[in-house]
Amino acid sequence: MSSRIATDSPAVPLWLGGPAALAMLVHLYLVFMWVSTESTMGIIQRIFYFHVPAATVAFVACFVGGVASILYLIKRDNKWDDLSVAANETVVVFEAINIVMGSIWGRRVWGIWWTWDAKLTSAFLLFFLYVAYLLIRRATPVEVRATVCAVICILGMLDVPLIYMSNRIFRTQHPSPVIGGGEGSGIAGDMKFTLFFGMFAMLLLWGCIVRLRRRVAQLERAGEDLTRRTNEMVDQGV
Amino acid sequence: MENLNWLFYAYGIGVGLLFVYIFQISRREAVLRRRIADLQATVEEHWKK
Repeated sequence: MSSRIATDSPAVPLWLGGPAALAMLVHLYLVFMWVSTESTMGIIQRIFYFHVPAATVAFVACFVGGVASILYLIKRDNKWDDLSVAANETVVVFEAINIVMGSIWGRRVWGIWWTWDAKLTSAFLLFFLYVAYLLIRRATPVEVRATVCAVICILGMLDVPLIYMSNRIFRTQHPSPVIGGGEGSGIAGDMKFTLFFGMFAMLLLWGCIVRLRRRVAQLERAGEDLTRRTNEMVDQGV
Repeated sequence: MENLNWLFYAYGIGVGLLFVYIFQISRREAVLRRRIADLQATVEEHWKK
């Protein structure tokens, strides 16, 4: 049957899931036990090692979802739509983590939970766009769903450079970038290592989540296909 | 000391959100897999008759 999909193999293979779990544990060890404490902000600065990797993963997810959407519009192959929805849903999760953790950090360091500066506003816009994407996906008829969602997702992808550049172009409450921020920027070696290891660990975990979510998208499609065919059989009196 | 509490709250929310999401999609996958297997069996049974 055309709708039968390979569900015997696990959605997340051990060679990916094992290292991802191990890397996340090592990352938490580095954050809480190994890395040195920043002199100005103190221990609360350690939020940085989860806040920034979460944003990085959200940006990668936007890019993967956007490219998958473009490929869907060109090739009209459902596998690209499945990858796109999997990546785009993870944007909401990782962007939520980024915003919530950043907000807690801001409360302790700036004394406020939130401010509408360029960086925070563009990050919130990204989160809001992808929540809208998920709502529209549920509300749109199946025949045009993938095309409508692909267009929204490509628009969402365009917000990523804006977030990245916002605290480089504008004066913001959000601190200037410490990596790639030009002269005077930079962090200690152990902090940089912890940050990059965090990005690596979270990207591995994101790889597992996307594979699992893509499997769910494939199963949902197969379910819709089977239901439609069953209804056709009933209509034809087979 | 107070900052340490806030650090734990932040990480608790971050890691917690990830766990909840992974748990939710794992459950959704298991439910869908079972439902589709049942549907496929029903359709195949129908065609055999």
